[in-house]
Amino acid sequence: MSAALSGATLDVGRPVPDDGGRPRRARRTKPRNTLTPGAGLGLGIAMLWFSLLVLVPLSAIVASAAAGGWANYVNVLTDPQTWNALKLTVSQAALVTVINVVMGTIIAWVLVRDRFPGKAIMNVIIDIPFALPTVVAGLVLLALYGPNSPIGVHWAFTQKSVALALAFVTLPFVVRAVQPVLEELDADVEEAAASLGARRSTIFRRIILPSLVPAITAGAALSFARAISEYGSLVLLSGNRPNETEVASVRMLSFIENGSYASAAAVASIMLAVALFVIVVLDIVQRRVSRRG
Amino acid sequence: MSIDITGVTKTYGDFVALDDVSLTIPTGQLTALLGPSGGGKSTLLRVIAGLETADTGEVTIEGVNATKLPPQKRNVGFVFQHYAVFKHMTVAKNVAFGMEIRKRPKDEIAARVDELLKLVHLSQFSHRLPSQLSGGQRQRMALARALAVEPTVLLLDEPFGALDAKVRKELRDWLRRLHDEVHVTTVFVTHDQEEAMEVADEIVVINEGRVEQVGSPDELYDEPANDFVMGFLGETTSLGGVLLRPHDVHLSLTPQEAGAAEGSISRVLRVGFEVRITVLTDDGDEVNVLLTRTHARQLGLEPGVRVWVSAASGATTVPKMAAAAG
Repeated sequence: MSAALSGATLDVGRPVPDDGGRPRRARRTKPRNTLTPGAGLGLGIAMLWFSLLVLVPLSAIVASAAAGGWANYVNVLTDPQTWNALKLTVSQAALVTVINVVMGTIIAWVLVRDRFPGKAIMNVIIDIPFALPTVVAGLVLLALYGPNSPIGVHWAFTQKSVALALAFVTLPFVVRAVQPVLEELDADVEEAAASLGARRSTIFRRIILPSLVPAITAGAALSFARAISEYGSLVLLSGNRPNETEVASVRMLSFIENGSYASAAAVASIMLAVALFVIVVLDIVQRRVSRRG
Repeated sequence: MSIDITGVTKTYGDFVALDDVSLTIPTGQLTALLGPSGGGKSTLLRVIAGLETADTGEVTIEGVNATKLPPQKRNVGFVFQHYAVFKHMTVAKNVAFGMEIRKRPKDEIAARVDELLKLVHLSQFSHRLPSQLSGGQRQRMALARALAVEPTVLLLDEPFGALDAKVRKELRDWLRRLHDEVHVTTVFVTHDQEEAMEVADEIVVINEGRVEQVGSPDELYDEPANDFVMGFLGETTSLGGVLLRPHDVHLSLTPQEAGAAEGSISRVLRVGFEVRITVLTDDGDEVNVLLTRTHARQLGLEPGVRVWVSAASGATTVPKMAAAAG
């Protein structure tokens, strides 16, 4: 919807006539309705599809959670098991997102800037954790880190396994977001900075990183959103031990299995709020950092 | 002193970009590296800046052997064809970058940025982002950014190549005037002979990785070392085994000079005040002659008229080589 409307605002990035006269200030007009009949139809179809798929189901969840009133929320949140599940989910997702921001950027860097044998294969394999059915991902990790671990690491059924599984399935997000942006960066911008005296580390921090921040935050948002909703790979690997390794989505399922739909909807709407909050925060961070220079 | 390049060779696989180039670029002057695309002039500039390393040979900048120095340590300003702006920084921040790297005091940086933006006529744009500037403005910003670190030499790689013809001409004049004010040793790369002749104190003609000739614009135009330089600096035509400029051909309706070639006019093309005439001589040469409109009208020239052509006295001529001139 915003894309359709932004056509009505002036393009701020337009080059300004050379010198002379006062700098012309780009005016920001109020969005007007500039839709042609064809565009109106397109917008209508897009909104209908979006509503059917996203808006209506989401509203339904919030509505059914709200039907129980505040008491419902208070009950759900004061239940230690639910609270622990929420805490675990959000903290592990946040931890994994931070790891992804660092590791994903490094992997993207290596894939774009370095030449090494097997690069093409690595480039393809990156997507496998995402493409694999998540239960299979759980199996794979269980084989390596489970009770029969060939390398002697017994992380299964501990909180570490939650982070491990989340890191596994969210690996490609930051990599795939950063990679194309890194490929598009002009070499001469870095050369310009070098000839002005900037060392490699300074060039990375002050020139390259600010250009990557929008991509990194976009990848981080996807990765966080995917992590808080993860279910399949955790079922096998974490053991779903209440208060220990049980995540929000598993907790919701057990509410539903017990017929407690209102409680499930309450947890769902809390997760929805968390996801929204994180996406907005990342957007703000991105705007700040990419401006700073 | 100045920039001394000795025996520099640079190859990319089989391609020889620079073939044993030796050259001295004088201090405080505006020097053009002129030549066709792919001739090695940009590579030479990048070798001076340290953005490329030469396979063999040495580069000395103001007495300091810079051959092994990284670009950060050479204290050169470099301006790129496509501006290479720092997109996320304001114009002022872009210009300040080099000084911030050098950890100069804040108020000194602010004062110098102010002064430089005034110099490049961008004062009122200091808080804009580069994306809000036109191409010519971005390139002026890039120039201010390069000048901010008080470089020993200023290197410009096809600085006006990405701009449209009108802006290019303005910036060319402006660069010349700027250089007269700042006097920093400046080297710029161009493939446009008019640009080089108009702006530079000295021109280095480079072709196929070799220096063909070094000299002032007049020297190059009046005494080209070979047919390549002659051909690259302007139009040529051949008459009796020599190359010369079409406006240096003397044309008459009667045999006035000994050795004049007889022929008939095959084509007359008028462009504004010029008239371009093609004469087919009886020896089989096709000679292009350039006359003013008035002169051509006086002689009553039109296709089929018998004429005699010869090199005018004082004309610049170069023996024609077997290979066609560029």
